[in-house]
Amino acid sequence: MSPREVLEAGLAEETVPRANGSIAFDEPWQGRALAMAVLVVERSGRGWDDFRRHLIAALGEDTERPYWESWVRALDRFVRDVGLLAPRSAAEPRRS
Amino acid sequence: MAESSQPHRHHSPTTPVEERVEALEALLIEKGVLDPAAIDAVIEHYEHRIGPMNGAKVVARAWSDPDYRARLLKDGTAAIAELGFGGPEGNHMVVLENTPQIHNAVVCTLCSCYPWPVLGLPPNWYKSPPYRARMVREPRVVLAEMGCHVPADVEIRVWDSSAEVRYLVLPERPEGTDGHTEEDLAALVTRDSMIGVARL
Repeated sequence: MSPREVLEAGLAEETVPRANGSIAFDEPWQGRALAMAVLVVERSGRGWDDFRRHLIAALGEDTERPYWESWVRALDRFVRDVGLLAPRSAAEPRRS
Repeated sequence: MAESSQPHRHHSPTTPVEERVEALEALLIEKGVLDPAAIDAVIEHYEHRIGPMNGAKVVARAWSDPDYRARLLKDGTAAIAELGFGGPEGNHMVVLENTPQIHNAVVCTLCSCYPWPVLGLPPNWYKSPPYRARMVREPRVVLAEMGCHVPADVEIRVWDSSAEVRYLVLPERPEGTDGHTEEDLAALVTRDSMIGVARL
């Protein structure tokens, strides 16, 4: 391994444990929700700040709601807002 | 901090939010907006490729190379990009230099803005309403509760991440590290010291 690779491997070992915070997902769906947001913002041609506005609104609605649930709400609204899907998202099948 | 107090679940019955994520993903794939491999690649990236080790390299370089340090403080985004780090949540990086007189700490009062390319994704406490609200009101108390005791004669400056700007704290170089290589130094830098909730 090159010195750089040794360094990276060593540091990764040091920092990957959850206690140091480099893993942020308690459950797999949270990772998928994050990844979808990153990709959807990219594909929409909008800036990250457009997603952030939805996230701030969702977090502000209910401070007791778990963070990643607010994230999913923001994602759902962002997706519909930018018109990537039809206005009535199938992601909310039970709302009617 | 409700989310961290919940039991860790494995293969529990699907919850409404999980169903919602699955449905949204299926729809985005069906409409051709996303493909599953791209989603997996992003998750892999955020779980394994970026994290505090990136920020530690930036800090170690700044401690070792005065010219780099000057560039980093002048234009954080460009200097961080020199080491190959950039991307979402890192487009407008500002680096805050701790000194014997000033201790910097970072918060996002409105949501969870955080410099992903250099620190990875934020820890749960960073996203929690108590930290977001109290860090601005009573930073010295919050820091002490987190085990970070800032001497009374050191000014604490709290920076609230705005729409565009993401902050990285440049901690003071620990004493007794004169002969250290950049690699040695990087190993000393903790995530929390780069958020400003710990001192080295």
